[in-house]
Amino acid sequence: MQILENYDEWKAAFRDGWLAHLQQTGEIDWSLYNRPDNNSAPGCPGVDLAHSRLMLVTTSGAYLPGRQEPFDAASPLGDYGIRLWSSTTPLEALAYAHEHYDQTAVNSDPQVLLPLCHLEELVGEGAIGEMAPSVVSFMGYQPDLSRVVDEMIPEIVAAAQAEEVQAALLVPA
Amino acid sequence: MAGIATTLTSWNAGVTRLTAPPRATFTRLDRGATLGRPHDFVQQRCVLDATLDLLAQDAPLKPVNLNQICP
Repeated sequence: MQILENYDEWKAAFRDGWLAHLQQTGEIDWSLYNRPDNNSAPGCPGVDLAHSRLMLVTTSGAYLPGRQEPFDAASPLGDYGIRLWSSTTPLEALAYAHEHYDQTAVNSDPQVLLPLCHLEELVGEGAIGEMAPSVVSFMGYQPDLSRVVDEMIPEIVAAAQAEEVQAALLVPA
Repeated sequence: MAGIATTLTSWNAGVTRLTAPPRATFTRLDRGATLGRPHDFVQQRCVLDATLDLLAQDAPLKPVNLNQICP
């Protein structure tokens, strides 16, 4: 199972199309962007969430100002870094470095993207065993999918494995 | 994800489908408010619960459309 099917072909088309145009003109032309086209979803056994540790993964661009560097939200090439912050972080302590969605809703109610209060309730109800100590956060604009595969996913997996999670919930912004 | 069961919810079914996720729910909610309207506890829990429920099932699963389930 490949995370990005036809990886080599995708990477060459990206490099010679969308990326080359940006480098040559300084402009983004999304008509040149080649979306992924996976045909096979990975198989994985289900888990008993009531006895599992769950990790939240967010693409909201949430980070801890003053303690973590913001994501490079303005870069047309994207930001391929991740931030880890405690899953017990008060939501009002977070800032969002992301220019590709309207932050009005999340600033009004962070639960729309970071359902940590809901998840804690579910832990209290016994529906989730426990939350992972950390939330994995990144800024969900990464045009170069080869870098997502080669850089980001291994880092996210390592973080999840380090915290011995059995399940992960991805809430893209 | 390396033997870790994953699930996701997305307002962008068209793009998400292209990645062939193992478990997913799809909605027509707004970009930037993936789990539902601000302060709408009922809608947010509906989307969250439906998405988490998929973890109990072996993947891959056909994505679940929540448009009628979590209006």
